[in-house]
Amino acid sequence: MTRIAIEDLAFRYPGAPSDTLSSLQLEICSGEAHALLGASGAGKTTLLNLLSGLLRPSSGRILFDGKDVSNLAPKLRNIAQVFQFPVLYDAMNVANNLAFPLRNFGFAPSDIESRVARIADELDLRSALDRKVSGLSLFEKQLVSVGKALIRPNVDVVLLDEPLTAVEPHRKWQLRQSLKRVQVDLGVTMIYVTHDQTEALTFADRVSVLTVDGILQTATPEAIYAEPSFEAVGSFVGSPGMDFVNVAGLSRVPSNLDASQKLGLRPEWVELCVPGDGMTAGVCDDIVVLGTAFGERVGIATVTTPAGTINVRTSGDVALGTQLGIRFKRAAVYRDTALVGSHEF
Amino acid sequence: MSFSRPYDNRAWLGVLPVLLLVAFSGVIPLMTVVNYSVQDILDFNSRYFVGLDWYRETLGDPRFLDAFIRQLGFSATILAIEIPLGLLVARGMPRPSTNRGLTTSLLLVLLAIPLLIPWNVVGTIWQIYARSDIGLLGVFVNALGISYNYASDPLHAWITLVAMDVWHWTSLVALLAFAGLTAINPAYYQAAELDGANAWQTFRYVELPKLKGVLIIAVLLRLMDSFMIYTEPFVLTGGGPGNATTFLSQYLTTMAVGQFDLGPAAAFSVIYFLFILLFCWLFYSSVVQKADA
Amino acid sequence: MLELRGVRLKEDAAAFDHVFNAGEICVVLGANLAGKTDLCRLVAGLPTQASLATAVLDGVDLVSQPTRVRSVALVTQAFVNYPNWTVAQNIGSPIHARTSSRTIRARRSAKTATAERVDELAQALGLSDLLARYPHELSGGEQQRVALARALAKDARVLLLDEPLVNLDYKLREALQGEFKTLLHDRGTIVVYTTSEPHEAFALGDQALLLRDGELLQADAPLEVYCRPNSLDAMDLMSQPRTNRVAIANGTAAVRPEHISLQAIDDAITYQLHVIATETNGSESFVHGSCDGADWVVRQSGITVLQTGETVPVYVRREDLLEFSA
Repeated sequence: MTRIAIEDLAFRYPGAPSDTLSSLQLEICSGEAHALLGASGAGKTTLLNLLSGLLRPSSGRILFDGKDVSNLAPKLRNIAQVFQFPVLYDAMNVANNLAFPLRNFGFAPSDIESRVARIADELDLRSALDRKVSGLSLFEKQLVSVGKALIRPNVDVVLLDEPLTAVEPHRKWQLRQSLKRVQVDLGVTMIYVTHDQTEALTFADRVSVLTVDGILQTATPEAIYAEPSFEAVGSFVGSPGMDFVNVAGLSRVPSNLDASQKLGLRPEWVELCVPGDGMTAGVCDDIVVLGTAFGERVGIATVTTPAGTINVRTSGDVALGTQLGIRFKRAAVYRDTALVGSHEF
Repeated sequence: MSFSRPYDNRAWLGVLPVLLLVAFSGVIPLMTVVNYSVQDILDFNSRYFVGLDWYRETLGDPRFLDAFIRQLGFSATILAIEIPLGLLVARGMPRPSTNRGLTTSLLLVLLAIPLLIPWNVVGTIWQIYARSDIGLLGVFVNALGISYNYASDPLHAWITLVAMDVWHWTSLVALLAFAGLTAINPAYYQAAELDGANAWQTFRYVELPKLKGVLIIAVLLRLMDSFMIYTEPFVLTGGGPGNATTFLSQYLTTMAVGQFDLGPAAAFSVIYFLFILLFCWLFYSSVVQKADA
Repeated sequence: MLELRGVRLKEDAAAFDHVFNAGEICVVLGANLAGKTDLCRLVAGLPTQASLATAVLDGVDLVSQPTRVRSVALVTQAFVNYPNWTVAQNIGSPIHARTSSRTIRARRSAKTATAERVDELAQALGLSDLLARYPHELSGGEQQRVALARALAKDARVLLLDEPLVNLDYKLREALQGEFKTLLHDRGTIVVYTTSEPHEAFALGDQALLLRDGELLQADAPLEVYCRPNSLDAMDLMSQPRTNRVAIANGTAAVRPEHISLQAIDDAITYQLHVIATETNGSESFVHGSCDGADWVVRQSGITVLQTGETVPVYVRREDLLEFSA
């Protein structure tokens, strides 16, 4: 239940030619589920290690509830961490794994028992308490790892480093849901690091998008998707990413937009129409079929127009090479790669 | 995994030399020994089948039993010292993730040195080293007030032998344990630290379980080798004083080479071989079975 | 054209035949351990538990050819490159292995030709700046592109890609998928691409080949397999998340998550969905719940949020409910 503040944080690996992280600012509220979303190489693991104390910052500060912890050892920071793969004590059973941190921090046996029971209930592990961890599936083991991280009631923050990596694909959503539910129930501040946008956008109250240029935006998942502050955020989030077209290249320019701006478009914000009717027109270069919906073929058509390439969500048959018009329903407006507003058509 | 169809059957010819070599140097001699163990061989041309007589005689021989008990005591002692000591040394060494470069490499080389010395040289080194008149160790110990002489006192002979074996072989355990420790993912240490574990708990709950495979190999190797030990004690004490340090291998050699009693010696060898096999199997299955349970 | 007959990927699996056509990308779709890697290794000539009766590539018997002679290139999921060679040397290695020239002049001209080809491929894959680096200095995506360039340099008749993107980042996967499409199409090469993600079958494949436990379930154009799966397993494989089951008299019926509507539609079957959780990733939402005891997932575009514990009516068109006998 702690507020985390990162002030002007910078870090450079010894011998590296440039900073991995520089001038980072971030505030995470108490009890918030926060996701750090970024591609590999953006520095998310570095930031996580700075938060956990494995690394010390080159400059700047990290504050837990106002207290400067930047140079404190991990043990003293009162945090817990969940790793990419289950990290458990193989020789012990589930109950002892969960109880281990509590015993080391001197909790009374009766308190330990009730806390273990509570966490096991939250994570649906009651039936597994007596089993040895080596006999569990990856999903169950990771669940125990999460339990072990949450077991101490006074932990300041729980750090999760891509925790779904090792879990079987069809069970990932279950672990995601368990994490979310337990985060809400216990009110623990959680920082979840991932490169998967689905994980970030479904889990978090707020998401920070991290690239080599730093934290580009911190906002709710809806805002990150619909109003990305920078073009880089727009193209990173969404599958496919946002398309950017030059206003100057459109056949019809609305009055309140000017030629120096760009419009950010998502496939569901545009639709196909007759070539003369829309904001622009172009040739369909590629179609990726997604499946069918209500008997009609659904896909994403890539249309090359004078203003730029646009991916359009289509239903029905669209032939390659045909001339198509594109009507815009809404767009995000950018000048010099930064968001200036949104536009409804 | 196998090829769906061998490309060239001539490959079998390539394996033939090795097969012949192993047959010649291993299988046939072993069969010969078993053959001799059931015969009374007076000289090259007169042999008589005696069945299991030699086996009965050997197992009833008091000197055999004494040597056997001494051997057991020796193996147990050195295992009890070398395994924990090797582990301790391995834990004390800086691991590559924290300290790249020279120190680790230097220490590894230093550790490897005792393993590279020919075994009879090891025996000779200690024989001189521990001498109470001119040996560095012998003189030193005597100067401390303890009247130490491995040539006349059985207990001193034992202690010197054990010390020599520990000096010689602990490095093997240390190197194996070190390799095992470097293979442990740092995340486990991190998690243990965050869980509030102290150094002992980290060792017991993180390192020991992960070193199980390595330790099994180390124990098996030392068990087998120490049970067969010959050169070093022979050079150091010659089996003395009296027969205080006469182990199985030496007794066997005396019988086979010195007295040329091929029949009993062969039976002895077979019994010896079976014992080693038995102990190793007992150890391995008890540890591995525990893991599976 | 690559013709395989009597392919047996696992001991107790039924043998199957398949023809791979030139200039086509065949996406082999299957779960973990379904036999995708075994199939690749079989064609490449690497040790595998799988076996086949005959394999004919362009009229030539493949099985009697030793591995190093076969005109087959392989890209695996673990980015495999020669660690002691630079990127340029890595890409050039298959060309180098192919040309053996006796005269100095021939060798020199072979060297220039190799360098040109390496430059060409590096440019196509965005590696021109990295030619002097070593594989361990590169990121995962870059290493995989080097592996791909090396495979393309071999100019083999068959190009096998065994889950090449599975160890890469989400966005990197998207980017490389796009690149694969342009690079691999219409080169006259036979391309076999294995994956466990159905959307890759749609994105890349001219043909989809569905494998389960070593057996061939269905092989056809992706949209065909999607619309007319011949079994419940085939339907499951082409669906992400899994299809929703409905128990019927003698067999099982199933409907895809994206074919369930939260809004009423004409001529539809109504089911009651007990909501457990909703998830959204910006463009789509997933509603997890249960219906008549079976676990269901509904996939909707846009953002939908339903309360946990709610029971809502959901609608399925009759044509979208596919029935399979037991």
